[in-house]
Amino acid sequence: MDYLLIGIVDVFTGPSLLWVAAGVLLGYILGAIPGLGKATGVAVSIPLTFYLDPVSALGLLIGIAKGSGAGSAVSAILLNTPGEPSSAPTALDGYPLARQGKAQKALKMGLFASVIGDFLSTLVLIVLAAPLARYALLIGPVELCAILVFSLTFIGGLSGGSMIKGLIAACFGIFFATVGMETETFVPRLTFGFLQLSDGISLVPMAIGMLAVAEMIVQAGNLRELDAQAGRMKDGDDPDDRRITGAEWRRSAPAIARGTLIGSVVGILPGLGASVGSFLSYGATRRASKTPEKFGTGMIEGVAAAESADNAVVPSSLIPLFALGIPGSVIAAILIAAFILHGLTPGPRMFVEQPRMVADLYVAMLSASLIMLALGYAGQRVFAMIIRVPLRLIIPGVLLFCCVGAYMDTSNVFSIYIMLAFTVVGFLSRKLDFSFVTFLIGFVIAPKLELSFRQSLQLLNHDWANLARHPIAIVFFLAAIVTVLAVARKEAGHTAVTVDTEREERT
Amino acid sequence: MTTRRNLIAAAAGLVLGASGLLPGAAAAQDYPTRPITMLVGYGAGGQTDLIARASAKVLADQLGQPINVVNKPGAGGAVAANELRNMAPDGYTMLFQSNAVVNAAPFLMDRVDFTPDDFEYAGMITAYQTGMAAPKDAPYDDLPGFIAWAKENPGFAYAALSAEARMYMDRISEKEGLQANAVPVQSGAEMVNTLIAKQVAVAFSGGIHYRYPDEIKTIAPTTTFRHPSAPDVPTIEEAGFPLAMDTRTVIMLPKGTPQDILERISTALKAAETDPEFIKVTEAADIPIMYYDAAAAKQEMHDTYAKNKAILTGSD
Amino acid sequence: MKRANAISGIVLAVIAILTLVVIIPWQIETGPKGMMSPRLVPQIMMIAILVLSILLVITNLGPAAPHDPPPFSRDELRALALIGVVFALSIALYHWVGPLAFGVVLVAGSLLVLGEHRPWVVGGMPLILMLSLWALFYKVLGTAIL
Repeated sequence: MDYLLIGIVDVFTGPSLLWVAAGVLLGYILGAIPGLGKATGVAVSIPLTFYLDPVSALGLLIGIAKGSGAGSAVSAILLNTPGEPSSAPTALDGYPLARQGKAQKALKMGLFASVIGDFLSTLVLIVLAAPLARYALLIGPVELCAILVFSLTFIGGLSGGSMIKGLIAACFGIFFATVGMETETFVPRLTFGFLQLSDGISLVPMAIGMLAVAEMIVQAGNLRELDAQAGRMKDGDDPDDRRITGAEWRRSAPAIARGTLIGSVVGILPGLGASVGSFLSYGATRRASKTPEKFGTGMIEGVAAAESADNAVVPSSLIPLFALGIPGSVIAAILIAAFILHGLTPGPRMFVEQPRMVADLYVAMLSASLIMLALGYAGQRVFAMIIRVPLRLIIPGVLLFCCVGAYMDTSNVFSIYIMLAFTVVGFLSRKLDFSFVTFLIGFVIAPKLELSFRQSLQLLNHDWANLARHPIAIVFFLAAIVTVLAVARKEAGHTAVTVDTEREERT
Repeated sequence: MTTRRNLIAAAAGLVLGASGLLPGAAAAQDYPTRPITMLVGYGAGGQTDLIARASAKVLADQLGQPINVVNKPGAGGAVAANELRNMAPDGYTMLFQSNAVVNAAPFLMDRVDFTPDDFEYAGMITAYQTGMAAPKDAPYDDLPGFIAWAKENPGFAYAALSAEARMYMDRISEKEGLQANAVPVQSGAEMVNTLIAKQVAVAFSGGIHYRYPDEIKTIAPTTTFRHPSAPDVPTIEEAGFPLAMDTRTVIMLPKGTPQDILERISTALKAAETDPEFIKVTEAADIPIMYYDAAAAKQEMHDTYAKNKAILTGSD
Repeated sequence: MKRANAISGIVLAVIAILTLVVIIPWQIETGPKGMMSPRLVPQIMMIAILVLSILLVITNLGPAAPHDPPPFSRDELRALALIGVVFALSIALYHWVGPLAFGVVLVAGSLLVLGEHRPWVVGGMPLILMLSLWALFYKVLGTAIL
């Protein structure tokens, strides 16, 4: 703990703080531009980090990762084009808010939720890394399978208007996730002879196409209407539209708490990613709300839930890295490489052999959260003005950046083709009202579910009786069943109420 | 008449030469004159990417031109190798990859059909310490010990990251009458996770398990040599299974790249053996430096291609 | 929307059947015995989609509501088609000329398609954007991406 004081002195008097700030700024900008995102920023700044000392290098990379989590909310709210797939739920309520002239309110909430989620999650990392990581080891494939089944129940309510269409979208998502080499038999599935597809369809170009480019095209088809709408909005008529009222804070606080918790848990579990965290958080907050049907029209808690979760995932995904040396995410893997390139080995030994550097790192990470707050807040009014710019000037720029972002995924034009293919899919689903939320969830969760299911089969020696040895898994399976029953009862009750009111109206 | 024709011919020659359409001799002498691109067939942050970047630094210092590392992940490097085939053989694009993309992948993956003659080789620098790994407190320390344990415990689980892993376990199980459950994993980190959490009895690792010496031990290297990080553990060949396949990092160039360019790169690469920065990186990552020059690399590729073909397609 | 739903349902059902009968057997081999077939999950999904789309059609039969707006407006379809053409052109130029041509044509093309006619914008914006991208990647970050 006294190392923390040394850490503060080190970071604040050395060059590292500058690099952290540079990272947050860069990450924020990259996150705000639809198409570019943290994976791009982090991967591409690796060469820069070779010339820096370890703490500055890691501060830069972590700053980028955190900044982009906050920045991605900006384009989601202002343009309905999430800067990263993890901000897709933010757009669901953020964009309507912006269209109601409440852009600054939404932006502020996005920022505050991001910072709070990020800060708290970093604290968790610092205080609980070692014990949590040990517990995380208890989550094996069997437990993960149960947890994923349980998490699927959260998203039941996310299919928008039509349950059937939502399910169809989810099935398509799962179907597209099977493209690539199958993990047990190494049989290529649906690759049509393209080697570039043997690792599957990558989330980033697909999400960019479906969410960003498709949205831009839809907006392109409604230029006059949208510009007229923007012209009518006089941002600033009602000062309450620019800030967050006390009542809204009270409503959003539990959403933020929930989001931070969900985001932190999702981060520790290997391989799930920030998108899963933000979707689940949005779903959970919507389910817990007294007015779930209003979500999608401008509920500020939706923004809070999504943003707090997607930012909470980043620091907690570093827990397995710092505590055990196991990278739980792409960013963690890159960080390991950065560590090794500086001659350090991440893992439990790091705490013992390099306590001062670890303290420096923690302080750098906490400062990143604060810098993010300052930068984001300063930029609010500037960002909100983007709404005034005529769409016909914004759209071409966004299209270009989306291409760059898609290309950066594999340094191959093929990713741009994938982006374009899913642009068409996204356009159709938007117009025909098929939920892309359930599609993405199916796409992201299903393969992990399939994999953990196969792994569980092997680990349990094809004998379900062995499940008794995995109490945690049993708990989650039961929780899933209970949740489904509870939701079914609520739906039935709802329908009963509607039937009753209908009957009343008729009499 | 002849003078004018000669003049025109000379002028044409000058123009051609100046626009660089005449390949080879003139260019190779002052190679490199502009930045070089090094492709890596994996995403950023992996073992190979690490060594690639460290090597790029050494090469850039030696050759005097910056080297840009570009990640082109896909199909374990096959996508990048395919692209390399279409690049100009002028020495300005190279691929830093595990040699398995040429000497093992064709036998394991559909639609990958490289042969060693499809590329030129400028050298090899490190080897992967591939082998069977187990949790530290497992009741066996080497392959015979593991086999004995496995006979007592049928239905054990092992983590399989690749088709080679399954091939190894299948051969061993066939010969010794074992019953194994293959748990598929999709990344090195997942594989390590299963070992640290003691969910599996063994796993086949590409070398990164050495980063966790307190939790994981090697029980049988699948290389032809004993691992420098575990010199007391006998290899799979010593245990009676002639299945060892060496994997090394290799610098590949498009077919037709002039020999002297290959030599220049090869000589520059040799400096990595003694470069303190490079050594620092490989030691932190537990990756042994095993340098092969251009000629030796080419030989190794041809030898291992034939050998792996026998192993991987032998009894299938 | 009802009519659109019914039509989507039919189209999806056809797609599901085609996939089940043609594409899956063509693109996915059967795996070795004893393991879960690689075709299993894709087939289950397509069967689910088939069933669900039939349900979709059934629940959307019957008279449409008095004002049932068509899902696609002409402007949107026009935007899709035109921007599609711009993309096709830009990609072709990427293969024949290079990435700079790609970027410039993409931005300039979409500006024109969206109704921007001022020459200094149509010419200037692509250049400024490409320049800033170049500056960002090659100078600030020091990585060549191409």
